Parts: sequence; C-alpha cells; structure tokens
Amino acid sequence: MVGELTWSRRLFGLWLPLAALFVFALFPFAWMAATSLKGNAELYDPKANPLWIRHPSLEHYVGLLRESNFLVWIGNTMLVALVATLISLLFGVMLAYPLARMRFPASGLLAISVAVAYLVPQTLLFVPMADLINRMRLGDSLSAVMLTYPTLLVPFCAWLLIGYFKTVPKELEEAALIDGASRWRAMTRVILPLCTPGFLSAGIFAFTLAQNEFLYALLFLNTSTIRTVPVGVTGELIRGDAFYWGQLMAAAFLGSLPVVLIYSFFVKYYVAGLTSGSVKG
Amino acid sequence: MSVNPAFEAARPATQAVPAARRFRVRAWLEREAVFSWLMLTPPLLFLLAFLGYPFCYGVYLSFVSRQVAQPPTFVGLNNFVNLWHDAIFWQAVWNTFRFTGAATVLKLAGGLGMALVMHQNFRLKGLTRALLLLPFIVPTVLSTVAWQWIFDPGMGLFNRGLMFLGLVEHGPSWLGNPTLALVSVILVNTWRGLPFFGITILAGLQTIPGELMESATIDGAGTWGRFRYITLPLLMPVIFIVTTFSIIFTFFDFQLVYVLTGGGPANATHLMATYAYVISMGGGQLGLGSAAALAMVPVLGIVLVVMSSYVRRA
Amino acid sequence: MARNRSDESTSRRDFLKVAAAGTAGATIGAGWRPHKAGAKPTQITFLRESSYVKEFDEHFKNVLIPRYQQETGIKVSYEIVAAGGSAVPRLVSIVESKAPVDAGWVQQEWLYRDGLLDVSDIAEEVGKQQGGWYPEIKNLSIWEGKWKSVPFGNIGQVMVYRRDWFDAAGIQAFPDTWEEFLDAGTRLKKAGHPYGMSMGHGYADNNSWLLPLLWGFGAQVVAKDGKTINLDSAETARAVDYVRKLYKDACLDDCLGWLDPANNKAFLTSQISCTNNAMSILISAKRDLPDMGKVTDQALNPKGPKGRFHSLVPVTHGIFKHTPDPEAAKQFLRWMMAPKQVGAWFASAQMYHAPFLHAYDKSPEWDKEPRFRPDLRVLETGKLVNWPAPADHKAGEVVSKWLVIDMFAKACTGVATKTVIADAVTGLKQIYG
Repeated sequence: MVGELTWSRRLFGLWLPLAALFVFALFPFAWMAATSLKGNAELYDPKANPLWIRHPSLEHYVGLLRESNFLVWIGNTMLVALVATLISLLFGVMLAYPLARMRFPASGLLAISVAVAYLVPQTLLFVPMADLINRMRLGDSLSAVMLTYPTLLVPFCAWLLIGYFKTVPKELEEAALIDGASRWRAMTRVILPLCTPGFLSAGIFAFTLAQNEFLYALLFLNTSTIRTVPVGVTGELIRGDAFYWGQLMAAAFLGSLPVVLIYSFFVKYYVAGLTSGSVKG
Repeated sequence: MSVNPAFEAARPATQAVPAARRFRVRAWLEREAVFSWLMLTPPLLFLLAFLGYPFCYGVYLSFVSRQVAQPPTFVGLNNFVNLWHDAIFWQAVWNTFRFTGAATVLKLAGGLGMALVMHQNFRLKGLTRALLLLPFIVPTVLSTVAWQWIFDPGMGLFNRGLMFLGLVEHGPSWLGNPTLALVSVILVNTWRGLPFFGITILAGLQTIPGELMESATIDGAGTWGRFRYITLPLLMPVIFIVTTFSIIFTFFDFQLVYVLTGGGPANATHLMATYAYVISMGGGQLGLGSAAALAMVPVLGIVLVVMSSYVRRA
Repeated sequence: MARNRSDESTSRRDFLKVAAAGTAGATIGAGWRPHKAGAKPTQITFLRESSYVKEFDEHFKNVLIPRYQQETGIKVSYEIVAAGGSAVPRLVSIVESKAPVDAGWVQQEWLYRDGLLDVSDIAEEVGKQQGGWYPEIKNLSIWEGKWKSVPFGNIGQVMVYRRDWFDAAGIQAFPDTWEEFLDAGTRLKKAGHPYGMSMGHGYADNNSWLLPLLWGFGAQVVAKDGKTINLDSAETARAVDYVRKLYKDACLDDCLGWLDPANNKAFLTSQISCTNNAMSILISAKRDLPDMGKVTDQALNPKGPKGRFHSLVPVTHGIFKHTPDPEAAKQFLRWMMAPKQVGAWFASAQMYHAPFLHAYDKSPEWDKEPRFRPDLRVLETGKLVNWPAPADHKAGEVVSKWLVIDMFAKACTGVATKTVIADAVTGLKQIYG
C-alpha cells in the first residue's frame, strides 16, 4: 500500500469526497424515488416536502406494469443494447487495434476518417437513414436499431480503445512475437486481456448510449410491443401537455436499477482484468 | 521475463503446423499492413454503408433548397450565406461554445476527482461505482423530466433547499432567467456526463502498474509528485480521448436542451443542434437544416486536428 | 400485437420472393405489402399523437379497430407517438422515406402537404352530412383548391383560472378585456397568486394567448397575401409594452422559460392563479385534486381594442400519397368520419377535440361539463397561428423559430420595444425575403 492510512487521510481523501459525489449524483434520484411512490394529490401539494412521502403507494408501479408494455420495452431495450454493444465492440477492436499498434500506409488518414464519421450530427443523418432502413425493409423491427446504433457507437469505441491499446508497452507484443506467437495470438492473448478495463468502459458507454437513444428508436420502432424504453415511455406516458409524472419516474427507476446491478457486477472486473493480464518484469 | 500462462499454453499449438506453404501464408498474414487491412475492412465497409451514404446525402442536401415532400433546387452556398446573416444562428453558435466549454471543464475536473477517490480501497466498491453511474444510465428523456421538477420555482429541490436554509425568500427562476437557464442546462449536462469521465479515467488509473508507484515512493515522491509525474502523464491518452469525445457529445447534445428549455427563453439556450433540428422539423427546410447541422463539422474539425496530431505523435 | 408482427414478417418474406423473381426491383419504396392488382387490402396503419385523454386512444383501440375489422376484414394497426417533439419528426420521416404508414393525424401538415393525397371527396361528403365545416379550418385543410386533410377537432386553448382566488381578490367575473386582465393580475400577484402565462419555446400555450393578444390589439405578423411583413406597427409596439407590464406586474417570473407541461405543473401545485391552456389542467384537477377541481374554471381570452381572438390547435387526418392502396385508406377514413363512429369517438374524449363540424355544436356532450363550453366557443373566434397569412411552410417556420414569442419574451427581459420588433422583422425577412 502506498502512503499511510491515517484516520484523517481516510476522511478527507475518501469519505468526504465520496459523500459529496453521492449527493451530487444521486439527489435527483431521491426525488425520483419519492415521486414514484407518491399519489398525485401529494405530488401536487405545495406544502409537501419533495423528498418525504406521507402516504406511500405503489399505484404508479402497478399502473405502469399493468397499463403499458413496460416489461416488454425493458426486454427490447436490453436486447437491442446488448447486440449493438457487441457489434460495436467487435468492430471497435478491429478498427482500433491496427490503428493503435501497427504501422501501415494511410493509417493516419484512416484514423481521421473514422473520427470524421463521428462528427456527423444525427440531425443530418436521420432523414437519409430512415430512407435506407425502409429500402432494406427493416422498418418497424428491432434489427433496424441494432444496425443503426453501431453507426453512433463504433467510432467512439474505436477511439476509446485506441487510447487503452496505446497504454500497453510495445515491448510486450514484441516479446510475444519473438517467442513465436502470431500477430493474432499476440493480440488476443496478450494485448486484449490487458485492456479489459478499456473494454468495460467502452462497453458500458456503448450499452448506455444504446439504451438511451431516442431519435432512431422513434423513427424505426413503431409498434408498441417492439419499442424501447425511452420511446415507449414517452409515447404512452407523456400525453399532450400532461405528464404521468409518477409513472415516468417509476419507469426511470425500474428501467435503470437492473442496469446498475449488471454494471456493479462488471465494474469488479476492472481490477480482475488488470491482475490476470499483468506482466511482472 | 515471464509471460502469462494462457499465452504459454498456446505456444505448442502454433508450433504444430509444419507445412511450408501454410508458413508462407502465415508470413504474409504476419505483415503489419496485411494484418491491419484484414482487420479494418469489415468495420470500414459497415461504416461506409451506414454512415457514408447518409452523410453524403446530408452534404448534398445542404447545397439545395429542399422542402419536405418537394423536389430539390440547387442553390450552391446560399444556405450557408443565409445562416451567416441569421442572428439566431450566431447566438446558437455562441451558446454552443459556452455550453460545451463549461460543461467539459466541469466534467473533466469532477471526473478526475471521482476517479482518484474511487481508486482507493473501500467496502462495496463495485456497487458504489455502479450507483455513481446512475445519472449516466437513466435515459435522458426521463432524467430531464425529473430535472423539470428540480428546477421548479416553488416546488423544486433547489429553491426549497435555498428557502429551507433561509438564504432567499423566493428562489430564483432557474429556467426562466436567460443566464440561469444556460447555467441550468450546463449543470444537467455535467451531472449526466461526469460519471462517465470518472469511470473511464478510473479504468485508466487501473492500468498504471503499481510497481511504478512503489518505486516512485521509494525514490521519495510525495502524493502530489506521484500524481503530477506518474499518474497524470500515463493517464493523458485516456483523458485526451474521453475529453475529445465529450466535446463532440456535448456539442451535439440535443435531447437534454430540447426537453428542458426548447432553446428558450428567448433563444438563451438554443444550441446549434437544437436550431438545426428546428429548421428541419419545424420549418421543413431540409436543405437549410442540413447546412446548419453541417456547420458544426468544421468547428469540430479543429478538435479533430488536435486528435490526429496526437495519433501521429504516439 | 404478436399476431400483427408475424403477419408482417410473412409479408416481408413474400416480398423477398417477389424481389427474387426480379419484378420488384423498380418498385422499391412503393409497396411494403405484397399488393397484387385487384387483391383485397388486409391491413391499414394509422398514426396518431397520444391523446391527453387516455380513453380516446382506448376507444379507438378497443371499439373502432375491432368494429372495422369485423365489418371489412381489414386489420388496423395503431401507432401512437408522444406529443410535441416526437410526432413531427416521425411524420416528416414517413413522408420522406415513404415509410409503411397509410394515414394519420397530419400535425403541421403545411410542412409536407405535397406528400398527402387529395381527400376532397371525403371532406366534402362529411361536411355535407354533418352540418358543414367551420370556415377557418378550411384555410388549413384546403390547399390549392383541394382538401389535403379531413379536419377532426380543435384542442381548445382558453384561460384556466382559480375562481376562489379571483373571488377573494374581489374579481367577480373573469376579465373581459386585456386591460382588465392586467388589473386583475396585478391585484392577484399582490395577494400572492400571480398569473403564469407561458412565453417559452413550447408549442401551444405560448402562441395561444400571445397571438390572440397581438391580433386583439390590431396587429398582425404577415398580411393575407403571405408576402407583406406587417409586424412593425404602433399596434405591435402597444402589445409588446402591454406584455412587458403584464409580465412584471402580474406574472410568475419563471413563465418566461415555460414549455407546455410547465403551466400545468405550476397550476396544479397552486403556484399560479391563471394560465392559458387546453382542457388538460381542468381534467387533471378534477381527477387528482378534487378540492382544486371544484374551484377551477375556464374562460374565453380577453378582448382587445380590435376584438376577441383565439388560436386554433387543429387536429386533422390525412392519407400519405405513398400508400400502396389509396382506396383502402380512403375507405377507412370515410368510415371513421361517419357519424356513427366519429360521434362516439369525440364523446370518448369528453369533447377534448371540439369538432369542426356544426352538427356537434348542440351535442348534449357539451352539457355534461359546462366549464368546457368555452372550448366550443373558441371555434367561432379561433384563427390559425399564421392568420391572416396562408398556412404554408413559411408560416410554419415563423412559428417553429418562435420569432413572435421571442419578441415578447425579450421585451420581458428588459430589451427595448423597438429593438425586439426590429429583431423579429429581421427574422421574418429571412423567411419571406
């Protein structure tokens, strides 16, 4: 261990900043949780404490699950996000590995063009993209978004992975090659395991963006039962200028908690990835 | 130097391929350029099909005058000239810079702090990290709905908090005052994006070998010295990438502002992305809207030049 | 639902077979269902914005769709999208990419009229059958002599106010003129109950009082010819000065940034005493807050020196030109607008959409809740947002850039009247130039 773990160091270096982070990141969720458990009368009561619940009720959760296809939307969202993430990570590695660790003609130009792909605003893309999807007869199907989300995610994954690939010393790869390994083996057995944290961040990022995406989902997913959470929820819980606040917040909660649990499982491997791939010199 | 066991175990299999021809193919495959292009081709084809065509179409649109459901007429640079003379457009440009700049700085500073705090040992580390990611996980459309209440003048957490502390009699109007409205959208963007900075930089921290830290400590480096001369330089690649991408993301951030303020009051929070959208979707001017969207690209091109110089340097 | 999907995938497979035979190569983008000449249509896709009154969507889903299928054997799939931000991009992408939707609510139809089918026969038949159309809606639905959409109803935008607070401040009747409205608001704000008049980048609640106010003061944005910019006038200046004073003396300062849900929230949390809104506030209050529901009332917009005005938020239905089977879509629309269907559909939403057909002026549905009556009377004085200019895409651009709204909003932040009018005119010149 580095440094001495004195009591005050622990307090000012860890617990206080951690508490501050928690308050900053999570106070909106305290409100969301409280709101999802309140009846409308209490929500609108000007004298009520926004964070305190006088008459807890599950009516919004019951309403959400009973009156809408919420569980189907969650399933769709997870499926779409998972497939889009896997495609994006695969393509991301295929782009990032050569660009980060190989020397070949036109690599600089290629790196730039991958980044250019990223600069294209969605507002510019969505009309032609809708056209493309319709021509491919993919409209109103989950495959439409599974294919279009990676266009938003691949360049990012690639660039993020380039960053991580570069942190691995070149000597490791060279040593493996001298030992007789092929490039493929050097990549899959030496470099990639070392970059597990990078995969996790890229994967978490891609997954989150994919489950969050709104515009393509709105344009390509039309039947209620094949929608993702953002489009399904806004389509049926935002009616005119009247919002079903309680149900919206219940949806935000039910939708994000499973993801948090999945992530809490994965973020452990930040450390695991490091130790299993480490090289002692 | 010892290599990791998985790799060691894999070696015999490689040696068990004796044929000479097989060997030539392998030698060919081992050339850096060949290996690279084999890897690069599939994703590039994918991007070309799904981004190339729409992008070219979008660029083409920006040179025509084109109403929804009507045939286009070529107008050359007219769309860009129109934007040049459009006061709202310039306000959107200025807002976009302030929004992106402020939010990125806040996210970077906060994210670095978050990563350093979380890079320590404590109980329930996994759950803590995942919980702190929540702002980033919840779909923006939903969290922004919650923020509409948090900013509420009489019922919102902010003003209730200020009133509770006795600081004000009536809280300020977070979304009604033009200056505060911009501050508010920056705050929400920071809130949502900071955890990703934190977790990405944390991943970078984890790849720094502990031995380096130990030897630095033995050499007499203090906490600050270790951070300044070991941690920060080694983190630079990750920080660089994540910042660059955050700039792009923030620059294009559309949903948050659109749901929270619609670019109001009086265009105080209108961004280039929201304005381009409004021109296309509200006015049906696909050509002009594409031009406004495309106008974002050269600005980001500057970011890109920095990025590519970074690629070449490494 | 599941059944629909499997049907669709079957048809997609069928299509692939046809495409493989080499005959469909040229028709890409034209037909998503296998459609042989003379074959009976099997399915219609109908798009709508999700209605504030849930029962309205449910009536369509649970009564109309099954009945149509029973009578004709044609399935109707119903796609609902969220109000505001979602419906328009979806509609534009449908028109632009010829997506598989046959008909629907064609919100902001001025954007894409050329992508809509001529439905004159239906509109005229329905009008003749049910008492005739209110005249103003024709300025939206009829384009170049042809009906491009069949009007349905208007979402009435009126003043919603707290009668208890008005009474307590000694204001017996809702103010009849804008001047009285300002006086009442000044008193109410002093009593701790300000107005909340939306002036942000929303869709309806801002236009619905600022435009009627502008018109009531005798000003207009663009002349009837759709070319002459008339905004720069003494009347406009008076309206701007009035709004600045109203904001300062009578309004909650937050309303400058309000989108459409914000005034609902503020009213229901007892922060404001009056706002301009659709029926949704009154309905929510009655449902969720019975005490407030009893003391909430609706009134017509006050009148200005040049009369009383309202702004229409019309709902019309149209058929997309690219539908593979125009006759099937027309048949459905005609059936839907027939008295037997449409009457009950209106009623299912408590007349939330005030019918543009005179036959419903005396409908007993209006007597069920007298406080909804102003929504009916809006039809008499209601104008389209572009009035008196034609409802074309230029007018749409003015609205979507919030040029007029921001003129008022800027004035409220303290910018001089002359400057804000000049800014708005510059913006208008870009569009009409």
